[in-house]
Parts: sequence; structure tokens; C-alpha cells
Amino acid sequence: MNTHSVDLSVTIGKLELPYPTFMGSGCYGSGEEFAPFVDLSRIGAVVLKSVTRLPRLGNPTPRLVHTPAGMLNAIGLQNPGIDWYLDHDVKKFAERPCAVVGSVAGFSVDDYAYTVERLAARDEIKAIELNISCPNVAHEGETFACDPRLTANVVRAARATTDKTLIVKLSPNVTDIAGIAREAEAAGADALAVINTVRGMAIDVETWRPRLGNVTGGLSGPAIRPIAVLAVYEVARAVKIPIVGQGGIETVTDALEFFLAGASAVSIGTGNFTDPRIPVRIVDELAEYLARRNCASLRQIVGKANVGFANPYQFEGDEG
Amino acid sequence: MPTVSPSAVHDVTVIDRRELAPGIVLIGLHAPALARVTRPGHFAMVIPPSGETAATALGIYEAHDERVSLLFFAVGKRTHELATLKIGDPLGVIGPLGNGFTIGDARDVAIVAGGVGIASVLLPAQRALAAGARVRLYYGARTRDLLVERERFAAEGCDVLVATDDGSDGYRGYVTELLAQTHEPPELILACGPSPMLRAVARTAGEMNVPAQLSLEETFACGVGGCWGCVVPLVRDSAQAPSFPPAERQGSDVVYARICKEGPVFWAHELRW
Ligand SMILES: Cc1cc2nc3c(=O)[nH]c(=O)nc-3n(C[C@H](O)[C@H](O)[C@H](O)COP(=O)(O)O)c2cc1C
Ligand code: FES
Repeated sequence: MNTHSVDLSVTIGKLELPYPTFMGSGCYGSGEEFAPFVDLSRIGAVVLKSVTRLPRLGNPTPRLVHTPAGMLNAIGLQNPGIDWYLDHDVKKFAERPCAVVGSVAGFSVDDYAYTVERLAARDEIKAIELNISCPNVAHEGETFACDPRLTANVVRAARATTDKTLIVKLSPNVTDIAGIAREAEAAGADALAVINTVRGMAIDVETWRPRLGNVTGGLSGPAIRPIAVLAVYEVARAVKIPIVGQGGIETVTDALEFFLAGASAVSIGTGNFTDPRIPVRIVDELAEYLARRNCASLRQIVGKANVGFANPYQFEGDEG
Repeated sequence: MPTVSPSAVHDVTVIDRRELAPGIVLIGLHAPALARVTRPGHFAMVIPPSGETAATALGIYEAHDERVSLLFFAVGKRTHELATLKIGDPLGVIGPLGNGFTIGDARDVAIVAGGVGIASVLLPAQRALAAGARVRLYYGARTRDLLVERERFAAEGCDVLVATDDGSDGYRGYVTELLAQTHEPPELILACGPSPMLRAVARTAGEMNVPAQLSLEETFACGVGGCWGCVVPLVRDSAQAPSFPPAERQGSDVVYARICKEGPVFWAHELRW
């Protein structure tokens, strides 16, 4: 098998991408910021920073702290609001050599529906990601993705406003992510992004103050990868729609874990902060890996993690 | 007209490594392409050689001919790793990044550096001296041994005035007190150092009625303006403020600007911190 003939393309709803790589929302600006360091025509899609109905100044500083194998962030959805965004920012996205996916956050079902409808109406935006799982604004209301009923309501309302591909981003900060995933699918989601950041906190032991201005934050990077792989595995068993797996992906091996667990595509966020060449390197090495394993297409390995082995040793009590 | 960014990922080689004081390291790099486009106040993101998560932001100390150097304190895991680099080691460096100092035609420049802040002020000192300006370096550190590279600044042609917390050299106390005592106010102040020092510089500059540019430090994630993690409150209608709806739409007259993108150098009078 020749590396060049391996098919890495993916279909996520109506979105056809030559490469299975998304750049995580909030980590990659609008793509422009990274253009000097990476050939954007060699990535699948950029997911834009989440936008809300009204302008948001965002959280007080500090907003970032480095932690073992990752970082905590609490940006607080700083953005100019949908009106300003549509007038000033969106037209620049047409020039991107990769697909551009809008991301919408909100504080009520109505907010989401309004913002999705306005953003999805623009040709520059090829699909919409519903960020119902931001952990850093939760004090203003419940995180939608932590409640099955709220998830269903917000997805249904967003679905009613657009035919464009709707990707719903789930939170790991729940006991039953598969249950939430089923609700999102039933309410009309075309795909699921799994996972957003894991809630966390860090404290300065000299000052006794939290290291983040927002007190709590969202953990990302390799520290959360096993949590994310499990979440993808469980969600893949619960739904039929494609999954965009994410959480700590920095190498092709990391990405492969997600594909085998059931993700159709992967997203790289924090990995870009380590080295902006990571997404293209993953795509190159993915083609090499698949060629070596005699797979003509990436699709062949999605969800193929072999978990069906039997335990040869058991006592009576192991049954329960 | 979209401007072409001069920044890139550079694969470079370590050609020099010196421990200037305990825990303070200078790494020289063979980096001709980076040296050519680096301007005073620019910084770089250094890719961790061992694959540790997140690149490290460092000020660019020297940039001339084919050489770029970085000067830093080994304080955390990632800077400790960089401190152990050896001559001949490869390194990935992203840069140059940020908006640097604007020296213009100021004839009398005071540069205030605290601790590792010295790493970002050699290039502006050289630029001002080359333009024929008088340059005074106000250099503060905890103790004498940590006043690294002071001879270098003197050799370049700066008048060097030092302050130490313990009085082991020069003025005993804050370097900003030394600046405030001058009878000859400069035309322009440039500063880099810990944030309490920068706040004091801003206050002193205000009292002297001298414009000041401050190079800010913050924890970075992307370093290129993509994540809004490194912000500082700025007057909303200042030239450096990012695109944001006007104040009458949302009340507050500040907006958070990215230190890595709109900065790291800001005019002191435009900060609201
Ligand atoms: C600094 C930062 C900002 C983020 N902002 C957003 C955001 O605005 N919207 C969103 O849906 N996810 C946001 N995320 C989550 C990422 O898109 C991603 O889902 C998560 O970080 C896990 O992937 P990673 O480990 O590859 O970063 C942010 C993450 C980081 C680190
Ligand atoms: S560190 Fe990401 S915007 Fe500055």
C-alpha cells in the first residue's frame, strides 16, 4: 500500500473534509494566527472561538496556568458578540484554505437558537459547533451539556434554525456521557465533539489564592487524554452519528487511540501550543501508519478497538 | 493590504551555552533567518525538546548576523530543560513574535530592567544608541550576583545605574526609586521586569510626565493571539486595542488586549491594570 493512495477523507454531516483533523475551538483563533507556521490547506477544519449573542469581556486574569501534562484555562468566552462578529470578522474567513466551522455558546435556549441562525446564514461558515460544555461560565447558569433535558432542548432549538452540519460539543464533567450523547443525537445533532475540558483548580501555596482569576478552570492537554478516549469509546457505542475526538492529542499514536475508540475525526487544541506543526505531522504519519497496516482508508479502523477478549481466570465473586 | 508576517518556525542549533549566575542561563543559537527579522522587544516561543506540553515564551536577548540568543532564569520544568541544552543540540523556535518597542527619535532614553527583564532590553538599547541617543540603564536585582550582563550594557555605551534589594551593590532598594531620584528626566522610558516593578515605572513615569513603554509578562498558551489567555485590560480606544464593539454598547471603557499579539510592549498610560 502506497502512502499517497491512503484515503484520509472524512464526512461529518454534510461536511466533506480531505483530512480528519479539526483545530479545537478557542485554541486556534480564526486560523489566521497560525498561518505563518502551518499550511492550512493540509488541515481539515478550523473551529472558531466560540461566539455569543452579546459581547463578553471575558474572565479576570490570570486566565491560564500550566499544570503537569497540560494546562488550566478560564478565558470566559471573551468575544465581541454576534453583531460585531458578523460585520467585522466573518468575511475574512472566506479566504481560509480549509473549512471554517463556527462555534456558538450561550446562556439560554433562545440565545443559542438566535446566534446559530445568524451565524449559519453566512456562506463563509461551513458548519456549526454548539459549545454547550464550556466549564468557565457555569456560574451564570447550568452547563447545558451536564443535563440531558437541557441538551435536548438546546440542540432541538438550534437544529430548527439551520440545515448546516451541527456538531454538539459534550462535557466530560458528567456521570453518563453516553446518555447525554443519545439525547443530542435524538434532538438532531449531525455529529458530536467529545470532549471539552475537564473542570480543575490550582492554588498558589505562597499567597493561598487560586491560580486562576475565575478560581476554577478547564483542564486540557495529555493529562486528560485517557478520560477523553474512554468518553469517545462510550459515546461511540451509544450513537450512530460521527464523533470528533479530542483531549490531549499531540502525536499520531494519540490520534489513533481516538480513531480506534470510535472517533471519525480528531481535534487538536493544546497540541498547537506545543508545536504548530503537530496537526500536519499527524496527517502525514497517519497515512504512513495506514499504508503499513494495509488499510486503504482511515474509515476502516474507526471503532475497531478490540475489547472482546475473555478473562481466563475467574472466581465466583468476579461474576457480580 | 495584508502584511506578510515575518514569523516562522525555525529549526536552529545551539552554538553557545553559558551559566551567567546560578540559575541564569544564556543560550546562543545559529538562527540567521530569525536574526534578520527580529526587532527590539520581540519574543520567541521555544518548542520543548523532550515533548513536554506547551512551548515556552522567552524574550530575544541578542539578534545579529547569524546569531540569536535567549537569556532566562531556570524556574520551572520547561526552562530547566532548556538550561540543560548542549552545544550542537537542535531546537525548534517560533518567532519573532509580538509588537516591540518604538524608540522613534528620542535623544535621551531610560531603560528600566528588573531581574530577568534584562533579557528584553539589549536590543532596544542598541537601537537607541545606534540612533545617537543617550541611554541610561536602571538595573535592579535581588542581589549583586544576579546583575548579569551589566558590563555588556556598559560596553555597548549605556550609563548603568544599579539597585539591589539587599544593598550588595549600588542603591539599596527598588530600581524605580533610583529612577524617580534623577534630576534629568529622560524623553522616553522603556521597561521590562516583574509586574510590581512595571506598575511602579508607570507611576513614576506619570509623575515625571515622560511617556513609558512597558514590556509585559504573562503565562502564554499559544503565544500567537489565538487563545485570549494572556490578556491585560487596555483603554478601549487606544491604538493597540483589539477590534471590539464601542464602549457605549457595553458600558466598560476597557477591553482585554492580548499580551502576545497586541503587546508585549504597551504604552503605560493606556493600561488599566
Ligand atoms: C485556551 C483554551 C481555550 C478554549 N476555548 C474554547 C472555546 O471557546 N470553545 C470551546 O468549545 N472549547 C474551547 N476549548 C476547548 C478545546 O477546544 C478542546 O475541546 C479541549 O481543550 C480539549 O482538547 P485539547 O486537549 O487538544 O486542547 C478551549 C481550550 C483551551 C486550552
Ligand atoms: S497566549 Fe494565546 S492569545 Fe496570547
